[in-house]
Amino acid sequence: MASIDLDKMLEKIKSTQWALSDIDWDAPGAELITEEQWPKLKEFMADLMWIEHVGARAFAALSKKAPTDTLREIYSYFHAEEQRHANAEMALMRRWGMLDGDEIPEPNVNLRIVIEWLDRFADEMPVYVLGTVVPMLEIALDGALCTFLLETVEDPVCHQAFEKINDDESRHLGVGFTVMEMQGRSASYIKMVQMMARVMDPRLILGIASYMPLLNKMRDNVIAMGLPEEKLYKAMQKFERIGGRTEEGRRNPWFQLIKQHGRWVTNRSNKAYHVPVDALVKITGLVPRKALPAVPSWVKELTYEPVATR
Amino acid sequence: MSESSNAKKASAGKKAPARRKSAAKKAATARKAAARKAPAKRAPAVTPVSVLIVGAGFAGLGMAIRLKQAGIDDFVILERGNAVGGTWRDNQYPGAACDIPSNLYSYSFAPNPNWSRSFSGSQEILDYIHHLVAEFDLEKHIRFEKNVADLSFDEKTGVWTATTDKKERFAGRAAIMAQGPLSNCSFPNITGIDDFAGKKIHSARWDHDYDFTGKNVAVIGTGASGIQIIPELVNVAKHVKVFQRTPGWVLPRPDFSTPEWNKLLFKKLPASQQAMRNLLYWTHESMALAVIWNSPLTRIAERVAKLHLRRQVKDRWLRRQLTPDFTIGCKRVLVSNDYYPALQKDNAKLITWPIARISEKGVRTVEGIEHQVDCIVFATGFDVSNSGTPFPVKGRGGRVLGEQWKGGAQAYKSINVAGFPNLFMTFGPNSGPGHNSALVYMESQLEYALKGIRKIIGENLKVLDVKEEVQQRYNKSIQKRLAKTNWNSGCKSWYLTEDGFNATMYPGFATQYAAQMADFREDDYETA
Repeated sequence: MASIDLDKMLEKIKSTQWALSDIDWDAPGAELITEEQWPKLKEFMADLMWIEHVGARAFAALSKKAPTDTLREIYSYFHAEEQRHANAEMALMRRWGMLDGDEIPEPNVNLRIVIEWLDRFADEMPVYVLGTVVPMLEIALDGALCTFLLETVEDPVCHQAFEKINDDESRHLGVGFTVMEMQGRSASYIKMVQMMARVMDPRLILGIASYMPLLNKMRDNVIAMGLPEEKLYKAMQKFERIGGRTEEGRRNPWFQLIKQHGRWVTNRSNKAYHVPVDALVKITGLVPRKALPAVPSWVKELTYEPVATR
Repeated sequence: MSESSNAKKASAGKKAPARRKSAAKKAATARKAAARKAPAKRAPAVTPVSVLIVGAGFAGLGMAIRLKQAGIDDFVILERGNAVGGTWRDNQYPGAACDIPSNLYSYSFAPNPNWSRSFSGSQEILDYIHHLVAEFDLEKHIRFEKNVADLSFDEKTGVWTATTDKKERFAGRAAIMAQGPLSNCSFPNITGIDDFAGKKIHSARWDHDYDFTGKNVAVIGTGASGIQIIPELVNVAKHVKVFQRTPGWVLPRPDFSTPEWNKLLFKKLPASQQAMRNLLYWTHESMALAVIWNSPLTRIAERVAKLHLRRQVKDRWLRRQLTPDFTIGCKRVLVSNDYYPALQKDNAKLITWPIARISEKGVRTVEGIEHQVDCIVFATGFDVSNSGTPFPVKGRGGRVLGEQWKGGAQAYKSINVAGFPNLFMTFGPNSGPGHNSALVYMESQLEYALKGIRKIIGENLKVLDVKEEVQQRYNKSIQKRLAKTNWNSGCKSWYLTEDGFNATMYPGFATQYAAQMADFREDDYETA
């Protein structure tokens, strides 16, 4: 697959916008959620919504850092589109009676840590780091979770919403992989040196420390929902397949790093990775919510209301 | 229906036998021959005045004053509106004010000791303009509601003729284009804008009869006008949503009211006001080092703006939304003390999601939400043409200025264009300041034009035309200098054309510009 024309992509993004009000959230079908499904689905949707929201914040950081005007504008759209996905998922939760009044569902502790990290450091990160991590998160978590959701939930409104969401996501991934290839085009050793300098950055180490347990935690949540573990791994392997389809893509050291990490995650027998990371999940699970700083104000922008009058 | 059928009948009636047709042909040929001998249909000649001025804003009136002071009294000002004041007549939105101190944003040849504040509001500036008209007895020279639709030069007579949209004609030996760069505005090209069923207001065409009390309002645009309107609207409207595309750099505004003793001092001792003007002038001149070129002072100016933001906005995310990602000076630097606080009031909200479209009830943003409002205020600026003219301007040999400027406007010293003799432009190409008072630049232009006009009248010239090669050389140097400025450093702004050509700004100090304009070199011109 050749790299996409980003200017044309921007035009396409602008011309294919949709709004929450395009969907009738009160249409019949909500009753198709079974009683057995309901509690697990509630947890699942909350996680999914938060992943979209975290993705949105990462795109916000990319929109400041991207090397060209076009890419900056594309990322500012993606930022808003991920927010739209989170809003739509929240609207689904409301439809299914999963929201406690007007309250936004609580993010799990690993997500809270990632939110905190993004809020403090994401804007400082070079475009290469987030530009590679975000497609991985999208393909692995978003991709796998959305597919799974559509396979298990019969509500037609859910299918209607995710059809739109998936269309957006396919554009996000298309741009994501193109950017990864762009990053692989210049001399690799320079990139490697730059990357090593960045890896030494304590802010990035903190980011890695919050990203790793998030993946394992999500894996646990997904399995609890009944998603076969293999599906998640298959999605992660897709990252390796598409990201490494060209010479440029393979030359991107961040791709190599994330790919390698993906292999560790999907190999359960790799004790050297999973024992400490699972331990981290447990430890972070013990962190009392009160010990975490207040959520940043960008989190409060989430809404399930298609229309805002104030 | 009847008209067209009549027309058909008439044309059918002309279809006569061949003999009659040939007779008619002969008659037509004879008519044509007669017409060649004496062009009877030609519009009657208009007696030219010495100077024809288009526009009764600051520039046109300033030119008129300087002409009068120079003893040239036969000039006419053509004004498309029914009142003087130009941009200050049009921009009377709540909170409208100039972002340059009034003691500098006024004419040095017509000082006003009575400015009520350091940064006066638009009504007070308009009052000053009215005062100029009265003091210099300009009213009799102004022809209101004369909307120029064409300006053409006749090389044989050396006269410019302006034709209005009502076909009235005015002629002058010299012409001043003082229509202003920021005089036309229109609603932006946002999808669905015509679907909106509520009230639409453009900042430069304010509807003073619309009552904002209790209304939900959207403001699109956070440039120089937007940041002045928003605090005022937040004070009266029920809720204000501010849609921002790009945040600008905002510096604190040292605005204070002028004490009575100060006014008295300026009145009794005009030298003290001149001293104040000089102080302001040099302070602004020093800002060029921060705003025009990327220097250590640029970092200091950005630091000051960031501190201003930090002091006024406590929330980290909001601060991030309001932090620009371009070098200060690349776009117009904003000054305000009340914009950031207004955004944080309970009835205000900053929205940075891109706008997807405007709907019947409000603004839809890309995060999927429709923000429903009663009124949308468009603070989206002006239709700036960097590559055309507001009306056709025809010079020697029928050349059209707009066509010559298609690739980007250019002139000699911003004021003359080769092939368009005896024509002087105020705020022509590459005359814009980013750091100092526009009127300082304007004064230099007026003095230059006056020198040219004196030469035309004094030597009874039909043609005073800048040489093409002189203009080329000048522009080559200007564009070379512009490449090193912050304006050309990568941000999108109204200073640049779509292709990134800067036909707007002058890459230097006001002092440099004034020096260039003070030097009228006769050798640069072809005369006849």
